[in-house]
Amino acid sequence: MDMTLNAFTLSVLTGLQLGSIYVLIALGLTLIFGTLGVVNFAHGALYLIAIYLAVSINNALGFGLALILVPPILFVIGVLLERGLIQRFYNRPHTDQILVTFGLAIVLQELLKWIFGANNIPFAIPSWGNGIIMLHDYLPFLEGFVVYPKWRMILVVVAIVTVSAVFALLHLTRFGLVIRAGMRDAEMLQFLGVNINRRFMIVFGLGAMIAGIAGVFGGPVTQVSPEVGMQLLVPSFLIVVIGGMGSLGGAVLAGILIGMAQSFTAPYIYLNTIIIYLITVIILLVRPRGLLGAKGVFE
Amino acid sequence: MITQNNFWQHNKAVFIFALVALTMPLWFPLMGGYSGLDTKIMIFCIFVVGFDILLGFTGYLSFGHAAFFGISAYVTGIMLKSFSDNIIPAIIVAVAAATLVALIIGLLTLKRTGIYFSILTLAFAEMFDSMAMSMLQRWTGGENGLTGMPTPMLFDLKMQGDTVFYFCAICAIILFYLAKRIERSPVGLMMKAIKCNQTRLEYTGINARKYKLLAFVLSAMYAAIAGALMVVYEPFVGHEFLGWHQSGEVVIMSVIGGVGTLVGPMLGAAFMLYFENVMSVDLGEQWLLVLGVIFMAVVIFMPGGFMEAIARLKKRFFTTIDGE
Repeated sequence: MDMTLNAFTLSVLTGLQLGSIYVLIALGLTLIFGTLGVVNFAHGALYLIAIYLAVSINNALGFGLALILVPPILFVIGVLLERGLIQRFYNRPHTDQILVTFGLAIVLQELLKWIFGANNIPFAIPSWGNGIIMLHDYLPFLEGFVVYPKWRMILVVVAIVTVSAVFALLHLTRFGLVIRAGMRDAEMLQFLGVNINRRFMIVFGLGAMIAGIAGVFGGPVTQVSPEVGMQLLVPSFLIVVIGGMGSLGGAVLAGILIGMAQSFTAPYIYLNTIIIYLITVIILLVRPRGLLGAKGVFE
Repeated sequence: MITQNNFWQHNKAVFIFALVALTMPLWFPLMGGYSGLDTKIMIFCIFVVGFDILLGFTGYLSFGHAAFFGISAYVTGIMLKSFSDNIIPAIIVAVAAATLVALIIGLLTLKRTGIYFSILTLAFAEMFDSMAMSMLQRWTGGENGLTGMPTPMLFDLKMQGDTVFYFCAICAIILFYLAKRIERSPVGLMMKAIKCNQTRLEYTGINARKYKLLAFVLSAMYAAIAGALMVVYEPFVGHEFLGWHQSGEVVIMSVIGGVGTLVGPMLGAAFMLYFENVMSVDLGEQWLLVLGVIFMAVVIFMPGGFMEAIARLKKRFFTTIDGE
């Protein structure tokens, strides 16, 4: 492969940026799956709600308010969905859970299409995030003039901060300890007298909130149109599968892997369109439970 | 005499379906259905009956059956365009191609349980969708779709108007009969046992994977026949034939009608197409929103779909009479 160091660096950055959105969506998916055991086909629709809310608030009141308001609103929406709908399905077959969240995805997508129209809504990046970063100022090994859009770098930083916060929450707090215990054996936790239902509700809200953060920063990059939700859902599902269902570390690893794969195959159009499926098939054949999947979890 | 009675008993549903289907051009326009919509309903009846062999019997929910529908449609279109305008070789080649693809996808996806299976079938269908739009563009016509097919012929019979309808209706009746036969057969019983308790089935020494794969490939073949007929019905193939919308539509039809009953999904297909094309006149762009709400309501409150509703009504009706 004939590639300069400059091109290589840019591909790595693009890979990280693509991976960032995937990781943020997949993190919520895998968190919800790992704790609640629910495959949420409506997760892409939650991202849709987030980008439409973000673009509306951004264009009317400014980006600062969008950033402050959208994630908490998504948290509340997540909690309401869990209490009103998802909790009825804990004792029903997985197929029913998939069906009801799929129905929810259609309803939410069509509702947003009705309100905002089918066309892309321009999402103006705030002035402090506009422009480009002079990479050669920071990375001395680069030759000449190398630039990268500032907003995409911010997206990567946001993803890193969010992932770190989620890991800190799960590994450093008592709440996280209970959640992790619930991921391992929810039944035993209930025998020990832990109110698991309230925590399920919070986890679902948390997953929705991460989609909210993804929407605020990802909206300007992924566009704001009703198809975006489903377009992101399929790769995010595959990332969850590649990483191992319910494994947070796996989702991060797989998200970066897919982002990199898409970025580095960009010059080869044919390979680029199928690379993600190719990786999924290979992983499934070589390591059916995913990269970091725990043994015995939905194997 | 007894065998004759049994034959009637076993095939009551098939006879009723045949009667309803073949008289459809007479009564369907009275309900506001335009000519051609009845043909589409027959085609989707084939699709959903096949889908029920997989979802209804084995319980495996595929979100990627559009792949087989679309691949078959593309192959049919290409065959009609560049080989012969006779539909018989086109359909045979198309179904064979889709079956081969189904065999490969089935072998890969059925390694995993329900949830993985749904996600992976969705992914494979999306893969074919994006392939049709990029590397296969030369053959599929990409964004514009595959057009320019000659008028399809059944040997020297022009496939137009009512001829297409009766051809599709006869296909649907035969395929429904075959699905009923499969349901009653020992193989059908094995498939249903997979849905009940796969682990227990495997403990009795039976190779469940063989039956899962068979159900998957059979349902893909039904989807492929439907896809091929779709091109005979309307000489156009677009990449939306392969998209998740198409797969989702079949899932919605099956669930609304009543999974596992074979008849239910056909009711669901007829309802959805009627809803989409006739009732949507009053709803405008929001028809899909209303349909989504109906779908969710069915999943939440009446998992058995229309068939459960009919059974409930029947029960209520008969118990009142018994009570009196």
